[in-house]
Amino acid sequence: MPLRSDATRWSTITKTFHWTMALLILGNGFFALWMDGLKPSMEKINMFALHKSIGLTVLALFFLRLVWRLADRRPPEDAAPRWQRVAAQVVHGFLYLLIVALPLTGWAFNSAHGYPLQYFKQFNLPALVEKNDALSSVFGEVHEYLFWFLILVLVAHVGGALKHHLIDRDDTLRRMLPFGRAKRATPTLPGDTP
Amino acid sequence: MNPTIRRLSALALALALPFAASAADYKVGPGSTLGFSGKFQGQQFDGSFGKFDAAISYDPANLATAKFDVTVDVATAKTGDNDRDNALPGSDFFDAAKYRQAHYVTTGFSKDAKGNVIANGNLTLHGVTKPVQLKVVFNPNAGGARLSVTGTLNRLDFGVGSGEYKDTSTIANEVLVNGSLNLLPK
Repeated sequence: MPLRSDATRWSTITKTFHWTMALLILGNGFFALWMDGLKPSMEKINMFALHKSIGLTVLALFFLRLVWRLADRRPPEDAAPRWQRVAAQVVHGFLYLLIVALPLTGWAFNSAHGYPLQYFKQFNLPALVEKNDALSSVFGEVHEYLFWFLILVLVAHVGGALKHHLIDRDDTLRRMLPFGRAKRATPTLPGDTP
Repeated sequence: MNPTIRRLSALALALALPFAASAADYKVGPGSTLGFSGKFQGQQFDGSFGKFDAAISYDPANLATAKFDVTVDVATAKTGDNDRDNALPGSDFFDAAKYRQAHYVTTGFSKDAKGNVIANGNLTLHGVTKPVQLKVVFNPNAGGARLSVTGTLNRLDFGVGSGEYKDTSTIANEVLVNGSLNLLPK
């Protein structure tokens, strides 16, 4: 598997970023929704600490991914109408924004509540804002609503990928799949024609 | 030294001499604090007890007769976090319904290698009695004295934090205790 992206598929590194972060973000989101309903206990405290550590990992991975994205090549876009390519870009823009906004609002929520922030019980990170109960509940709400907004954006993202795969029958999804192989030897050139 | 101060000093000495052989007795005045510091998820938190009382007998020149007798209402612990403050008096921690008061009584005083005064005593907390040492700093002042004490104890020695709350990777075992008492003559 190539380390760098080529004309027919995304690189191993890009795929690893994509699928690792997808798993961590979705897993962490539903994990949080479930644990939030638990009775107060030490176990719950440790689960929250785990949730925070995973969120910080996502934030760190995002910045590494950004650097990698700037360094790596990109396979050309599959042929699609202009509005679809614009839509795809908007969706990707929102995804990137949310990948950053979710951990940061969580961090701010944690800080405003006055909780410590410890990374996998190894070291502590500073507070983003001062302790403030009113602000804490605002950040808490925003943090949760952003997750539901992320789900909405993901429906578009996954919907688009499936549409390419099942209806257009092109390589858009295949070239990002962990062990995917391009169907065609020659990639489609970008164009406005459907 | 000007003559007035010298005369006053002589007077003060003359007044103090008859009591020099025995420790002075003090009660706790306003402006006194009794607190503790723990560590939760790697971060220190500071708490204090709203209600406590102490009978202090102390003369730096005659430590043999010194004595601290301190009672603390553990239900009055406040740490600046509602969740924690609600949990502390509960059965998982202080169990204040059963063990409302903590009690510290000294058994003797000594000096460490650096010349600090160390109070040796027994702390009864959460129904468990264990020895606890406190470093003592005593500064007489116009109205009485300022007594500062610091020490450390292990919360698990006293069973503070039961069941899953024994986990010291989240709540550190070591707790610092500190007191700053404004002592008034009895």
